[in-house]
Amino acid sequence: MEPRKTDPNKLPWLGRKLLWLDNMRNVDRIVYSLYALCAALFLADFFYKKKTYLDLEDVPGFYAIYGFIMCAALVVCARGMRTFLMRDESYYAPNDVEAEEYPEDQLEREEADV
Amino acid sequence: MFDVFPPYLVFFIGALVLPLIPNDARRGLVSLVIPIICAYQIWELPHGLHAQLGFSGWELTLLRVDKLSVIFGLVFSLAAFLSLLYAWHVRDTIQQAAALGYAGSAIGAVFAGDLLTLFIFWEGTAITSVFLIWARRTQGAFATGMRYLVIQVASGVLLLGGVALLYRETGSIEFNAMTLGSAATWAIFLAFGIKCAFPLLHNWLQDAYPAATVTGTVILSSFTTKLAVYALARGFPGTEILIYIGAVMTLFPIFYAVIENDLRRVLAYSLNNQLGFMVVGVGIGTDLALNGTAAHAFAHILYKSLLFMSVGAVLFRTGTAKGSELGGLYKTMPLTMIFCVIGAASISAFPLFSGFVTKSLILSDAAHEGYYIVWGILLFASAGVFHHSGIKIPYFAFFAHDSGKRPKEAPTHMLLAMGITAFLCIAIGVYPDPLYALLPYEVSYVPYTTTHVVTQLQLLFFSALAFTVLMRTGIYPPELKSVNLDTDWTYRKFLPTFIERISTSIANFWMVGGWILQRKLNRIVKRLHSSYGPEGRMASVWPTGAMVLWIAVILGATMVVNFV
Repeated sequence: MEPRKTDPNKLPWLGRKLLWLDNMRNVDRIVYSLYALCAALFLADFFYKKKTYLDLEDVPGFYAIYGFIMCAALVVCARGMRTFLMRDESYYAPNDVEAEEYPEDQLEREEADV
Repeated sequence: MFDVFPPYLVFFIGALVLPLIPNDARRGLVSLVIPIICAYQIWELPHGLHAQLGFSGWELTLLRVDKLSVIFGLVFSLAAFLSLLYAWHVRDTIQQAAALGYAGSAIGAVFAGDLLTLFIFWEGTAITSVFLIWARRTQGAFATGMRYLVIQVASGVLLLGGVALLYRETGSIEFNAMTLGSAATWAIFLAFGIKCAFPLLHNWLQDAYPAATVTGTVILSSFTTKLAVYALARGFPGTEILIYIGAVMTLFPIFYAVIENDLRRVLAYSLNNQLGFMVVGVGIGTDLALNGTAAHAFAHILYKSLLFMSVGAVLFRTGTAKGSELGGLYKTMPLTMIFCVIGAASISAFPLFSGFVTKSLILSDAAHEGYYIVWGILLFASAGVFHHSGIKIPYFAFFAHDSGKRPKEAPTHMLLAMGITAFLCIAIGVYPDPLYALLPYEVSYVPYTTTHVVTQLQLLFFSALAFTVLMRTGIYPPELKSVNLDTDWTYRKFLPTFIERISTSIANFWMVGGWILQRKLNRIVKRLHSSYGPEGRMASVWPTGAMVLWIAVILGATMVVNFV
């Protein structure tokens, strides 16, 4: 569906404040501050006495490097797994809920007036 | 009748009385009071063995009260209260009664002092909870509920078999720590393992939880698996194999969680991953590790409920919980989004959130005891859980691309339930001492050290960095409408197809064999007919000639027999 026009004045107060995120330049700002924060955290390792059990932990930025590499590997592996694990949504139908609609009478589907 | 009234019986009384109360706010109110009464009674219980009764020659203990059972009893009552508040709008009597019966069974199992009582409540959780899945009332939900029930009951049957063998071995049915070795203990271990979703026995969880109703999933997420963790902590503390089972459990679900589209199923995978941490704690079995397991179970029940509640609220308002269909909801559901982020921060163990002060008990003890590889796996799993539960869930539901959906904010009672749960998640993280005081053993653990905070922040922010980089470069797999094959494929596709093939080939064999046989018989009949039928050669001499001939032959034979 196309992004639709929303009247900001009708949004809940918090939603209105968060519209700030709609601007891609602000998203870029968040990303740059994440980069800066990561750099600062990496450097923080040089400024305090680490209490460790393993020699590995003494490597400066060990947790940072480990977190980054493992997460990247996780996503790349998982993406690869899709090639042989992914099936169509109706693969198990009709004995599966994935391909059916959620019963409407159990929902309170309400659109916000915006 | 009993020296002490078993508190969990309140739930069963409630479930029986509930249908008599008018089905409006009054019924909701009564169901909310029940967990409060139960929690208060648990709090007041004197430690020791109570409510013992003889039952056809068995000595049953309905209440074994110590710190381990009390902490699980309390958190189960709390979870019941929060999910019933979340389910305030539900007017379906079956769901209301099933929820109460389910919570009561789980608490009953926690306080069971012998294995027979445990078995009864063990099956109780299975039979009551399946109604929360069937309550969706679709063909898919019915079939899923059946699969769930078969597996859960199988776990119970295995438990009963193990108990019978154990009784023959030891002459006792008391539920105490066991050593793995005999067939009896293995059967009980496996029964616990099925409910705890051990690797390869896990798939009922990811199959069934997303199939339940909006509120049913929240209720389901709290009890069954944590009951199994409790049973393991009670029955098999310090069993080394659990460390490795737990490590594998933390590991493989995160891969599935990354590529899964249904956000409630993503949460089910991450639930499985979190159980792994607790199982590792049980396996290590030291005081600190068992404390870690109990504390983590407590915190986990809260943040997992919170995550299921927030995704449930989205489902309730939009009719879908699929990542591929959602996005941009933060504009109109900002409160739900914030509660979801709080749950995400808690499960990811951000400092000041509940996961931080509980998971680290297990992790640091794993390093302490020298399980370095396991420690490395747990660290990876911690980063991974942030990746898929901490970022993926809020990101694809509330941000990402704008789906064009503009649902109204969640109803007030849901917001209230989420608000209280979120408050508790932060409160435990900021001030863990009251939780630590509830733990089964004395704790002298300080979670907030400079090293711990900085290293944890490094791990988390660099995981976030990885997500951002992969997202911006387009490597991150997009959410696609799909299902992923897991071990359930074996009994949902492979075995049925296999059995069908075999049955078709046997049927074909019979058909061809029968056809050949019939042809042969037909031919014999035809030949007989042509010789002996009305038009046959024999028929032409049939009336007297043949008769005389045969009489002569028989006479001759008789004479030969007589005179020779």
